[in-house]
Amino acid sequence: MLYINIKVNGKEYELGVKPYETLLETLRDKLGLTGTKLGCGDGECGACTVNLNGKAVLSCLTLVAQTDEKEILTIEGLQNGAELHPIQESFVENSAIQCGYCTPGLVMSAKALLEENGDPTDENVREKIANNLCRCTGYEQPVRAILEAAKKIRGENDR
Amino acid sequence: MTDKLSVVGKSVTRFDAVDKVTGKAKYGIDLKVEGMLYGKILRSPYPHARVIKIDTRRAENHPRVRAVTTINDVPKITGAIGHLMTQEGRDHLYLHDNIVRFIGDPIAAVAADDLEAAQDALSLIHVEYEELPAVFDPVEAMKDGAPVIHTEDNNIAFHVLKEIGELDQGLEETDHVFEERYYTSKQKHATMEPTSSCVADYSQNGRLSVYSSTQRPHVSKLYLAKAFDLPVSKVRIIKPYTGGAFGGRDYLIHGLEIMCTSLSMKSGSPVKISFTREEDFIATEARHPFIIDLRFGVTDDGILKAMEMKCVMDVGGYGAHAAGVMTNALTKGVLIYKCPNITFEGHSVYTNKALCGAYRGYGNPQINFAIESLMDQIAEKLGIDAVELRLKNYRGLNELDPLSGQRIESDGMTECIEKAAEKFDWIGREKRKVANGTKRTGTGMCCLIHHSGGRFAIPDPAAATVMFNSDGSVNLVTAAADEGQGNRTVLAQIAAETLGLDYEQVSISSEPDTDMTPFDSGTHGSRQTYAGGIAVKRAAEKAKDKLLDLAAQHLEARKDDLRIGDGFIFHVDNPSINILVSDLLTALQFEDLSKGIQVMGTSTGVAPAVPTIYGANFAEVEVDMATGEVRILKFVCAFDVGKAINPAHVEGQIIGGEVTGMGYALTEGLITKDGKIMNPNFGDYRMLRACDVPKIDAIIVESPEPSGPFGAKGVGEATNAGTAAVIANAIYDAVGVRIEDLPLSQEKILHSL
Ligand code: FES
Ligand code: FES
Repeated sequence: MLYINIKVNGKEYELGVKPYETLLETLRDKLGLTGTKLGCGDGECGACTVNLNGKAVLSCLTLVAQTDEKEILTIEGLQNGAELHPIQESFVENSAIQCGYCTPGLVMSAKALLEENGDPTDENVREKIANNLCRCTGYEQPVRAILEAAKKIRGENDR
Repeated sequence: MTDKLSVVGKSVTRFDAVDKVTGKAKYGIDLKVEGMLYGKILRSPYPHARVIKIDTRRAENHPRVRAVTTINDVPKITGAIGHLMTQEGRDHLYLHDNIVRFIGDPIAAVAADDLEAAQDALSLIHVEYEELPAVFDPVEAMKDGAPVIHTEDNNIAFHVLKEIGELDQGLEETDHVFEERYYTSKQKHATMEPTSSCVADYSQNGRLSVYSSTQRPHVSKLYLAKAFDLPVSKVRIIKPYTGGAFGGRDYLIHGLEIMCTSLSMKSGSPVKISFTREEDFIATEARHPFIIDLRFGVTDDGILKAMEMKCVMDVGGYGAHAAGVMTNALTKGVLIYKCPNITFEGHSVYTNKALCGAYRGYGNPQINFAIESLMDQIAEKLGIDAVELRLKNYRGLNELDPLSGQRIESDGMTECIEKAAEKFDWIGREKRKVANGTKRTGTGMCCLIHHSGGRFAIPDPAAATVMFNSDGSVNLVTAAADEGQGNRTVLAQIAAETLGLDYEQVSISSEPDTDMTPFDSGTHGSRQTYAGGIAVKRAAEKAKDKLLDLAAQHLEARKDDLRIGDGFIFHVDNPSINILVSDLLTALQFEDLSKGIQVMGTSTGVAPAVPTIYGANFAEVEVDMATGEVRILKFVCAFDVGKAINPAHVEGQIIGGEVTGMGYALTEGLITKDGKIMNPNFGDYRMLRACDVPKIDAIIVESPEPSGPFGAKGVGEATNAGTAAVIANAIYDAVGVRIEDLPLSQEKILHSL
């Protein structure tokens, strides 16, 4: 057992973890944060995407022991009280959600993308979310939602 | 028809969007029940074997194992809903035997305190097998002397021969005969939530509760009850949020709910089983591969006089959908063009490969790929424009459907083709053609039909209840399973529109529960908006009628003079005679002690028809002759949905379907070697990603269906039916090679250049 300190969605945790335990397992099984999804466990689908110190990572390939002293943001930590994050809001408004299973991963990829590039093109978005498989939407509405979220966020920055 | 609509036709937000976008929505895989055990399934390593002996003692002695079950304890479900129609069918819903028929076929399962222990215990089960000869090729399987997989002669699970007119005569009367053979691949549903997770709980009062992500909660309930000899009333299916289905969660999942229930009964605790992605790939259903031989006779001016279609379909080891999928290929093949002489023959054949089942399109993507590829060849050979050839031949309005004998009442084919052609600039396609270095561009089109529901072929009831609350809001109760399509949102819109309420005033629970809903055959065959919508509309009309009856008494007015609007019931000529709906309902329920009435309406029954959905696809591709790589540059499609209750949902259905169709066309397919699936992961099974697909223009055509709710019919299953053909046709136009074997992979293209 290894002992680590991590911050998840702003909350500090001191955890005893197994050396081969993945961040995905910790989040889902120990912390009950099931918003982060298991799609493959092989790093191929992006359903498990979370932000680690602001960067999008696949939590199924990340050993939790390596996240010691780091900050993790999951889908559950994105909204501000009852207020949705602009990306979430934009997904809702643009009908970018069908079954919703890929949605948390897509939203967290988008979050990291927009932090890096606040004014992406359609192509930038498609490249950046290429890690995230979605079997329902055909990507069009999610791409639209991310572009619109970028606009919203830029608008907020102007104010 | 209602002339002014206020909720129908609006892209309202799906009611569950916020739960899904915040991570609150609980899917099957997320469920935890107090005291729950974890189950794992032991699977066959052989494609065909008799299980002589299963020794479970060592597993049972494992300190953390609570129960073990085997195929000797539980049946396999091999029936489809059509089996419920006759006593003979009902007697053959289940198979009790000790034969395993594909690599991955369940043999035993264990429930333990934790997943690790369950996994470990699998290796403690000792199975003695007698290996049996296996057959993997459906054509070989049909030959005399081939290994017998079930009891049927020549492994033929289903055979159909439909003859309309005189094929030979038709062929004689034509000027040209075209003949080709096509092969289609085994596409996987690959829902993002692995198929599947379930929690079975037999620990309370002799009742069995199963959380199952099924498309047909009531059918699953019936099947489970009969499998365990329980009164149907004692079985409850609750469908949690579901991460996609596309046909892959029709009925019960092979081995899953049955074994999970058995483990719960033996252990007295709730048990959860979740498949891994690999198990999903190797042991759940996929799209049936077809071998299709076509022979079409056409006159000089492009009129189809004869169509012969011969299909061999590989069903894999079990064949619940052996009849359904083949029959659907037949109806789509026979009905798309108004040819007077048609012969369709189909053989559905068992092989020792992973089982196939229902998958969006249900036989249509296969037959459409063949027919629309051949139509393209015909157009080219006869020098007729591809669009014109379709318009000359398709079976349109007022034509007779030779299978059901019904007249076709809604028809959007011409509009679909014309609108999409215009948006695509089909006329200007030759001018756009580019040959640049090793790259060539080309264009293609195709058309398609599909149907809403299966009302003439299978039991297909729909049901709904609409209940007014004392504040004037409404609860809509239906078993319609929403796997992401948004049908429960659409049904709430239909209820709101019918009742003259705002969408927000109608509430629907996130997912159905069979204890609280009347029997509905489930979500399949693009039926929920249409058949489910009809049930909801009727239920809402009944509730409204009841409300107006009571209002008429209360206001001492004639019912016909009363209207509902803005929260009031009022006299149409004298609006000062009115009452707040909530006041009336409160009075009826609570104030008038002699009444105590809940105003509500229920409807059960079937839809009157099986309306045709029309569609047309246009694609422009670029093929790199040096690598064989295909890029889709432009894609325009149009679908006639009767009436789009929620246009944004319809657009989502169309684009999502087309993109899985693009995967089917270009990259997807399970590769099997000696019965073993060689690509059971997303690295080797290539689905298209956001960067691989173009922007898609989805045009919604609304040619109202007279029997549909507000004119609506379905859409979902039509959307991937024509994608493979349109891409094949565009590739041909670009580089002059016609590949008749899906997927149209880079290697195959490069090889044929
Ligand atoms: S679950 Fe991590 S990439 Fe699929
Ligand atoms: S919405 Fe279903 S997988 Fe993306």
